[in-house]
Amino acid sequence: MKKELLFTFLLAAAALALLAGNALVVQVLRSNLSSKPDFLSASLSPLQKGDRLERIETQGSWYLVRNARGAKGYIHQSAVTASKVTLGSIAPGPKGASPDELALAAKGFDEANEKKLRNSKGYNFSDLNWVMEQEVAVPALAQFIRDGRLK
Amino acid sequence: MKKLLLAAMCALLVSWKPPIDLGKVAKAKKGAELVAGASHKINEEEEYHIGRAVAANILGQYPLWKNGELTRYLNLIGRILALRSGRPEIYGGYHFAMLDAPEANAFSAPGGIIFLTRGIVAMAADEDELAAVLAHEIQHIVVKDPLKAIRSQRLKALGTFTAGEAVGSSSGAFGVFQDSIMDISGTLLQKGYSRGQEKDADLGALKLLAAAGYDPGALLDMLKKIQAVEKKKLKAFSAHPSAAKRIAYVGGNVAAADPALRRARAARFEKFAAGR
Ligand SMILES: [Zn+2]
Repeated sequence: MKKELLFTFLLAAAALALLAGNALVVQVLRSNLSSKPDFLSASLSPLQKGDRLERIETQGSWYLVRNARGAKGYIHQSAVTASKVTLGSIAPGPKGASPDELALAAKGFDEANEKKLRNSKGYNFSDLNWVMEQEVAVPALAQFIRDGRLK
Repeated sequence: MKKLLLAAMCALLVSWKPPIDLGKVAKAKKGAELVAGASHKINEEEEYHIGRAVAANILGQYPLWKNGELTRYLNLIGRILALRSGRPEIYGGYHFAMLDAPEANAFSAPGGIIFLTRGIVAMAADEDELAAVLAHEIQHIVVKDPLKAIRSQRLKALGTFTAGEAVGSSSGAFGVFQDSIMDISGTLLQKGYSRGQEKDADLGALKLLAAAGYDPGALLDMLKKIQAVEKKKLKAFSAHPSAAKRIAYVGGNVAAADPALRRARAARFEKFAAGR
């Protein structure tokens, strides 16, 4: 009886993995679940890197999706990638590094190497921080578009 | 609890792959020459990190012009253009800033960190001309031109490191990181992209300007000014094809726009211009 249960469960998991084409993961640091397929529409919920979404349908370059809490909304294709379930997303690996992190470290374009660079001559990370802090909120953008008769 | 354990086991069975392709590592270890398959596709997060480093390198060579109000104006224009581009969302978001340098120039670091020099900002006569410069730079980011400046041997070299070397304090991976930064900075500041890449960026900028509601003719207006500077043998967009060549292919592709709409942005540009 228990074996049967296990077998059924394995089958279901395999089927889920096959259907994973509809599983998306946010690939940018920050995004939004938008109320309409439009960047200037109201945000239903903030999203961050790694958040999982289920694709319901495609509308042009936007996806209608459902988030983990069941809320429906839109996200632009450039903000997501097809989801891969990895060991790291289930349990942390030895010493806390997930396979994703290991794969990334193998490529060398990462935070750790940036830290090493901070002590090198010819790099100005403090001014870069100022540049990266310059943000524009969506309502200000919408106002700027209206005032300037832009699209 | 048992169910959870089962679910975890199932997920493991179905989808776990070794983090590093051991076959590739083994092949790589055999000889210095590597198969093309060992090279990596740079993902969004890696592009962000190499971009930050390239931007910090540019800021190590040119002083940042920390004018909050003007920088905000550039970011408003740039963000609107980015939203209408083929790559509206990018890992760390688009950022626009000014360099305190007299020559007319603009640079895009990977990941959407875009710099305009004080010289090019001073050259613009209205918001649409500023937008034209930004649109050209955004197009380079949309098609990932800065990443294409990394020599393929760098990424192939990364494929040769074993897991231990990569995770530990590998000077090898750090060396490749530094070399890749130099490849990109060298292309942005001196070598330049190919003529084809520049032409695509200009033609893409025309479409992008129109999509955002700006006058595509502003790119032509800007190029004419750059041409005038070049005639005086002064430095302007030194890593780009000559303005005359760019005018030749841009000129025939400019869609007409309503001049009244362009004038609608005059007042806020005047405020900006006063601060230049
Ligand atoms: Zn260019």
